[in-house]
Amino acid sequence: MFLTVSNLTKSYHSGITTPVLNGINMELEQGCIGVILGPSGSGKSTLMNIIGGVDRADGGEVLVDEIKVTALTDDQLTEYRRQRIGFIFQFYNLVPNLTVAENIEVVSNISKAPLPVDAVLSAVGLADKKRRFPRELSGGEQQRVSIARAIVKNPALLLCDEPTGALDYVTSRGVLALLQKVNAEYGTSILMITHNSAIAGMAQAVYKLRDGKVAEAYRNSQLVPAERIEW
Amino acid sequence: MTLQKRIWRTLSENKGRYIGIFILIFLGSFTLVAAKGFADNYALLVNRFALHNLQEDLSFSVDQPLDGLAALEQETGAAIEPYRYADIPLSDKGELRLLTPQQTVNLPAVTSGSGLQQPGDILIDPFFAATHGFKIGDRIDTGHQSFRIVGTLALPHYIYPLKYINDVLPPSGFGIGLIAAADMEGYPEAVTVYSVRFAGRENLGGQIISLREALDKQGVKLSDWTDAGNNKRIRMPWATITGAKTIAVPLPVTMFLLCCLIVGIVIWRTVKSDSVIIGTLYAQGYRRRELTRHYLTLPLLLAAAGGLTGVLMGLPTIDPIVKYMANSYYIIPYEKLALSAADILAGILMPTIFLGLAALLVIRRELHKTAGELMKGDKAKVKINFLERRLRLERFPFGAKFRLREQLRSIPRLLFLLFGVTAASVMMLFGFTLNHSMNIVFQSGVNGTYNYAWEYSFKETRQGEVPDGATPFNALRCYPDSKENAEFYLTGIASDADGILLRDADGNLLPKNQVNITYLLADRLKLREGQRIAFVSKLDGQSYELVVDGIVQTYSGQFIYMPLEDFNKLTGQPAGSYTGVFSMRELPYEEWELAGVKDLQNLNSAMDDLAAPMTSMVIFMALVAAVMGAIIIYLVTSLMIEESRPAISLLKVFGYRSKEVRALILNGSAWVVLLGFMLSIPLMLASASALYGYLGEMINMVLPIILSPAYVILSFALIVTVYLATKELSGRKIIKIPMSEALKAGSE
Ligand SMILES: Nc1ncnc2c1ncn2[C@@H]1O[C@H](COP(=O)(O)OP(=O)(O)OP(=O)(O)O)[C@@H](O)[C@H]1O
Ligand SMILES: [Mg+2]
Repeated sequence: MFLTVSNLTKSYHSGITTPVLNGINMELEQGCIGVILGPSGSGKSTLMNIIGGVDRADGGEVLVDEIKVTALTDDQLTEYRRQRIGFIFQFYNLVPNLTVAENIEVVSNISKAPLPVDAVLSAVGLADKKRRFPRELSGGEQQRVSIARAIVKNPALLLCDEPTGALDYVTSRGVLALLQKVNAEYGTSILMITHNSAIAGMAQAVYKLRDGKVAEAYRNSQLVPAERIEW
Repeated sequence: MTLQKRIWRTLSENKGRYIGIFILIFLGSFTLVAAKGFADNYALLVNRFALHNLQEDLSFSVDQPLDGLAALEQETGAAIEPYRYADIPLSDKGELRLLTPQQTVNLPAVTSGSGLQQPGDILIDPFFAATHGFKIGDRIDTGHQSFRIVGTLALPHYIYPLKYINDVLPPSGFGIGLIAAADMEGYPEAVTVYSVRFAGRENLGGQIISLREALDKQGVKLSDWTDAGNNKRIRMPWATITGAKTIAVPLPVTMFLLCCLIVGIVIWRTVKSDSVIIGTLYAQGYRRRELTRHYLTLPLLLAAAGGLTGVLMGLPTIDPIVKYMANSYYIIPYEKLALSAADILAGILMPTIFLGLAALLVIRRELHKTAGELMKGDKAKVKINFLERRLRLERFPFGAKFRLREQLRSIPRLLFLLFGVTAASVMMLFGFTLNHSMNIVFQSGVNGTYNYAWEYSFKETRQGEVPDGATPFNALRCYPDSKENAEFYLTGIASDADGILLRDADGNLLPKNQVNITYLLADRLKLREGQRIAFVSKLDGQSYELVVDGIVQTYSGQFIYMPLEDFNKLTGQPAGSYTGVFSMRELPYEEWELAGVKDLQNLNSAMDDLAAPMTSMVIFMALVAAVMGAIIIYLVTSLMIEESRPAISLLKVFGYRSKEVRALILNGSAWVVLLGFMLSIPLMLASASALYGYLGEMINMVLPIILSPAYVILSFALIVTVYLATKELSGRKIIKIPMSEALKAGSE
């Protein structure tokens, strides 16, 4: 199994203790797309951040590609993120004073075997805009840049926290199609958070979170191409 | 209004930044008030002393006592009064020059104790008293007589107590004392000097010439004809006053301008990031004026507080400095100072106006948008400036690109760092270079040109043999036709004077059978080899002309050397005439036959006396510069980190190591610091030579500005150390920025 989460717990302590994750269990196979659904505040981002190595759990275990993420030191977590994880955010998080190409280089710069920046840019359909600055792009284009940035190092696991959350219908489908293409072409495992249950159709595995627990998990035998998803 | 509460929050949230700005303003106001207060007050005291105590306009010596002084005074409208002096070596206590008081010119000022009352009383200068630990009531034994110290004094023609008028420094342990004329009778070697002060204070130059003509008519032979304008004992304080005046305004203005830049940036950022709130407030009926007032509060508060603190701390320093200088360096009577209301106001108002205007400019630009525009809040949309857009960086490595873009992101910020480092470096280099130049000048004077231990000059011209091991010279004070205040000595030297080494710029010895001019004089008159110099004798107004054969690479003074025989021929003196000798060993001349003795070894220890205050001043300047540099670099890095928070957080999420993040964000300024330092070298040279050009015109003191590689390296090392230390400090801020900032970005 590529990703295994077992009995993961996490609470926040800010004056009062807020339990957020109450024993999460989930699995994802190599090269698959997994989707996490759930109401706001159910702990989706918290879970993903722990898997991505930017936050720490209180108990339980996360295994990614045979690495026990929950047991790593801060420095080891840095190396883990550096070598294996790609991030895509709801609000793109591009560096505003770097050009499109340079934003991608932010990540390729620290990768051992990055894909060529131009190839990645072509893959996301932005080869002709590589000298633009982020503010000169539409939201959908910015999210494509952020996808290009995430995949340029050819990560083992791509984590996407509501990648279409700030985009309209048509643009969202384009972005989802792109993610599906990445998954197909590079064999990248993808874990994606969304509020939109329609998106679940393009994932092999679907997890529904409620009150810090996986309330429901199921597998799709038939995958829907992103272009045909409707909502 | 509740809005005002935010000011304190803003202040305490960015303590370091505002403290930094505060210190810059403080330093500016402090310098303005202290330096200007010192210069003005000291100038006032010096002028007042000259006026009230009837400082001489001229002094001269004659070969025999002047007859008919009263008639001469009548004819020339001047007070002419002789005084006598004798130099008394004290056993291991240095040397004391005894002088007699005058009644119509150069009135002594008793600065403590009482005046001369009975025979055997003496007044001494306060520095001499302090150096040797003399107190009122103590006795000074001259070997011939025991004097009782009744007080301290200042003399208008000995403000800077030089032993010889062409020295730059008084010999170590040298001082002056005033005794009654009757007591002077015990010193037959005493020399008589006439002091002149004209009743009419206009056209002094013309009156001096008339006096000269009247004396010539009487057929007296004059020597040591020195007008006050060229008398270092009288003019030297102006070197210091001018020095203080030159830093009193440019330095604070630089500081204030730097503060304007940084405050402009900070306010602009605040207003920018508040734009949504501002728009909302507008929409709710707040007036533009009210909001402007709100954002102006902080810069005005800072400026006023910094200015006020600078003034409050600057004011009390003036008095002690003036008092110290008046008692130890340039000796004048000290009086309670008048503090200038204008300076105090300037110290507070200047930064307030500067910063207020800068802030107002920025605020108005932002607040002119409509409420709707503001509420949209374009803070997320970072403007890309033309430099960033123009850059074609594809071929550069990512790190270089990132760092360059980080620097170019805000051009005002970049300029602030660049000019700030430049200003700090200029200040540091200036101090070091001044120190170095003075050292070189003294050393080359002492060790370079003259390899003789002693220089004796006689009261009267002589002929005939000189003692063994000595070599004769003859000299004439002259000034160039074109530049009256560039006085120099025309010196005739024997061609076999082995101890005088004249070298050209390449280090080759120049022949002594030709006309050689010192570098300083040549430089000042823009003369080169083969060119003609026309000049006038200071003594009798006779005109001469010479062709320059060689330029002597020495910094020791303004001289033209020529063969002694030619000198005598040119000036119409009998062959073999000389007015002085250089010697390897001490010669047994009597005090009465000498006009001066220069112990070239003694110069070294006198130099040491000067070196101590000089060194502490240079260290102080270097420290202030370092603090200034540190604050500037700190402000810029903290701003940069602040502006790059999202990027820093993001880099961490992507797996950048702390070291890598630090290098990306902070190392880019290294180039700016380097560039700023390099800019400072020509700037420092230009400003130093401007200052010394001015001093040369004013008091005929010329100091070459000699850049020392060692000091340049030292300054650079200091700036780099400050940079590295500040970087280290800022690095901690970077470590503290959490990754969650990137994860939650845009969601607020
Ligand atoms: N730093 C924190 N300190 C305290 N509580 C926190 C912190 N971060 C998150 N929480 C709480 O943890 C819970 C889960 O947060 P999380 O961000 O994982 O939810 P989510 O499922 O991603 O919600 P959304 O769909 O709105 O993004 C929330 O109730 C939130 O209030
Ligand atoms: Mg979330």
